[in-house]
Amino acid sequence: MDDFWFEFVEITQSIGDGFLYGSTYALIGIGFTLIFGAMGKLNIAYAATAIAGAYSSLAIFTLFDVSLVIIFIVSAISAAILGYLVYLTCFRFIPVHNHLAALMASVGGLFFIDEVIVHATRGSPLNFPSMFSEAYFEVGPYGIRGDLLFVFVIGLISTGVLLYVLFRTRLGLATRAVAQQDVAARLCGMSIHSTNSATFAVAGLLGGIAGAMTAAAVGILSPVMMLPLTIKGLIVTVIGGLGSIPGAIIAGLFVGSFENVVMYVRGIDERDMYVVALLFIFLIFRPNGLFGKTITRD
Amino acid sequence: MDYYLNLINTIGIHTLLGLSAYILLLTGQLSLAQAGFFAVGAYSAAVLTVIFGWNILPAIGLAMLITGFLAFLVGFPALRVRGLMLVVATLAFGEFVRMFFYNLKWRVTHDGVEVGPDGTMGFSEIRYFAEHGWTSWEVTSLIWIFVIIVMALIWWADQTRSGAVLRAVGEDELAAGTIGIDVTVVKVAAMTAGGIIAGLAGSLYAHQITMLDHHAFTVLLATFAIAYPILGGVSNVFGTLVAVIFIQGLLVEGLRFLGDWRMLLFGALIVVVMNLKPRGLFDSQTLQWIKNVLRLRFFRRLS
Repeated sequence: MDDFWFEFVEITQSIGDGFLYGSTYALIGIGFTLIFGAMGKLNIAYAATAIAGAYSSLAIFTLFDVSLVIIFIVSAISAAILGYLVYLTCFRFIPVHNHLAALMASVGGLFFIDEVIVHATRGSPLNFPSMFSEAYFEVGPYGIRGDLLFVFVIGLISTGVLLYVLFRTRLGLATRAVAQQDVAARLCGMSIHSTNSATFAVAGLLGGIAGAMTAAAVGILSPVMMLPLTIKGLIVTVIGGLGSIPGAIIAGLFVGSFENVVMYVRGIDERDMYVVALLFIFLIFRPNGLFGKTITRD
Repeated sequence: MDYYLNLINTIGIHTLLGLSAYILLLTGQLSLAQAGFFAVGAYSAAVLTVIFGWNILPAIGLAMLITGFLAFLVGFPALRVRGLMLVVATLAFGEFVRMFFYNLKWRVTHDGVEVGPDGTMGFSEIRYFAEHGWTSWEVTSLIWIFVIIVMALIWWADQTRSGAVLRAVGEDELAAGTIGIDVTVVKVAAMTAGGIIAGLAGSLYAHQITMLDHHAFTVLLATFAIAYPILGGVSNVFGTLVAVIFIQGLLVEGLRFLGDWRMLLFGALIVVVMNLKPRGLFDSQTLQWIKNVLRLRFFRRLS
């Protein structure tokens, strides 16, 4: 009986930890979903810009020894600039209906960013300042890691701000209008390109925060983190339903918990394999995700 | 000399890989699973020759069947989703395969030596060609015989009704459906054929390189696989071959003095080409231009 109790506590503990860490996946998923919602296109380079944002904040941190809040702000802003640049190079000048060319260009962008970082850091991982890692709260048999809680709170705040911008400001109104019917939005006098670039920049802001969060939770920053983050972000987007923000949040937290439980049961080597298998289960039984509408366009 | 033969081998194997993505691209599907199929083909053929001691030709044949069947299985769930979702699904599948081989351990003792895939350590000692006394020339010929057969088959299929059907689905699924083409059957068939060819490329790769490592089958390889037909254009199979020679011969080998900066160029090259020529370098427009130039030269010489 004691054994069972012990196992139960361990598993619920890892679900909780994963839930908190899953907020980073949720943010990345929201970013993918925002861009998909606005343009109907996937920006594969998105998670790469997020990690690149974290890198530039780390550079600022080592150069000027700034406070921890600044790290997140710098990361968000530089990722937003990068996001805008990705929009310019990979989406702006490619014919609107050629989805595959834009996608392919963003894959090229992913490799380009990846290689630039590998060159700048000589491929070796760097230490990232982790926040509140000494803090530890005990609740009954459970413990809550301070850094994970911090990451979760940051994630909550940024999601709240995003929802405010999206549903209470003119920019958000324009973004949603373009997402709904780009032709009608243009007829009403909205500029598609400036709205899309704003969407990319906003998504970049979120991505930069998520990148810094990921690095802060893990404690290191490495170019190797880029691809898993891309793939998990995409998985979260698909499981949540393409274009659905609540879906991305729920799926992000769910994927975070799921992978942590798998890691507890099967070890870290097999963790990502089961996360991908989860995607296939969803593709077979719910191809449109949790909250996705039936897709009528490619 | 061996250096050039190796380069020619690499070009041959990558041409096969590119052609496997080419067939899918004809039906308008962008698949990032080709590196996964390539890995399955490589590992299964190597297991057959190393652990079971098979001859290489039946081993390649069975590896192709295994990969084709796997592609068939992947095709069904993946094809319920279209376009961009298919990219996510196939990307995830490729990573799944890579992680599967990352975890695969299957050690067998042969003549006092332990052989077989060894998880993170990779699968080394695939010495079929060395053990059976194949010369480098014979290996290269074997690879290129397969390349020529596959290219000829695809080129021939493109001239017949099946090529027209594939392209019809690629141009407009809805229109293809209304004239009585079963779109799902066509797409699954293309996926299977692509899987078979990628499996062939993988099984040749395994024996040529003699050492398999999960790092070789990342998204980078998958991107290479689709970059060839996209850069080369889908108007005919030779575009893919030209793109492979351009990327592997010129960009990867020719610019070796640039060191690792070449990969940076690869990313930038894709972005630039997609901006300038969203339908591929050798799209119908370019081909027409080349034809016109050739014709002009020809007539000028006549007059």
